Amino acid sequence: MSTQPPDPPAKPPKLIDGAFLFILALALGSGAAVFWLKGADRFTQILLHDLGLSLALLPKIAAGVVIATALPFLLPRERVLALIGPESGLRGLAIATAAGAVFPGGPSVTYPLTIGLMAAGADLGAGVALVSGWVLFGLNRTLIWELSFLPAHFVALRVALSLPAPILMGLIVRRAMRTGAER
Amino acid sequence: MNIVIGTVLLWALAFEALRRMRRDAPDQLPALWVRTRNLMIFMVPRVVVGLLGAGFIAELLPVDQIQRGFGEGSGLIGVALASVLGAATPGGPFVAFAIGAAALKAGAGWPALIAYVTAWSVMNLNRAIVYELPLMGRRFTLVRAAVALPLPFVLGALALMFPA
Repeated sequence: MSTQPPDPPAKPPKLIDGAFLFILALALGSGAAVFWLKGADRFTQILLHDLGLSLALLPKIAAGVVIATALPFLLPRERVLALIGPESGLRGLAIATAAGAVFPGGPSVTYPLTIGLMAAGADLGAGVALVSGWVLFGLNRTLIWELSFLPAHFVALRVALSLPAPILMGLIVRRAMRTGAER
Repeated sequence: MNIVIGTVLLWALAFEALRRMRRDAPDQLPALWVRTRNLMIFMVPRVVVGLLGAGFIAELLPVDQIQRGFGEGSGLIGVALASVLGAATPGGPFVAFAIGAAALKAGAGWPALIAYVTAWSVMNLNRAIVYELPLMGRRFTLVRAAVALPLPFVLGALALMFPA
């Protein structure tokens, strides 16, 4: 098993960036609007509810982060490259899609995992296929939520129609990247 | 309950990963902790702020009108409308599927419903703003959104052409 430290080297990510300021402004603006339109009581209620939810999510996020950071150390880069790297072809995109569908956990886990796999050698196409596999077929969501609300026939048709989509999206991204690189 | 099961499962995986690290690459453990700490410091403020924003925005959006809007839609216009509404629906799976189920009862067709659920799955603005943009960066988010954009329309149109 490879014990090479994964590249790129560990550097602290930028804490305050445009994306963070954007969601901060959104939270402050919508929070002020709720306070203004619905009153202080409703504002406090939502604030406490979502702070509680964040607290409940924290252990799950921590586990996801540990897994995501350990992956590049544990998976030999050559193997990740062969499985879901830029030259992994349709098979690689299918593997990435399936991984997205079966891996447990919501966005706070799947995105760090995708970051970890991309640091370990997965390409952008495989990353897009993985996230798409998760959002379209995430077993947890499909089995627990969708089937309890919508008819099984409907779910089956939706899944069948969506089946090729993550692989197609990954292919389009790879082709675009290649054209971009040649230019 | 869902959160508890997921958390236990993930910690089992995390401990297995740590066990392998100790066995195969104990000298890399300090580097792992530095990265874990950095990623946590990066993620936690984003998740907290994102969840708060999502909660406030959900309170402001008229969810009942979303349901009415595509309950009446039909044909390609219904599919297009349902796609837009699906992308805009805030909240977790509970909200989206409950709206979908209610719309189905109110007489929405399968094509519009497929477009709605697919758009909510792949284009979810709420998730893109709260998680994807801050965690994955602008490039990944935009690239994925660009290739995902046609999907709800295409699947809705396919369902229109081949009625189940």
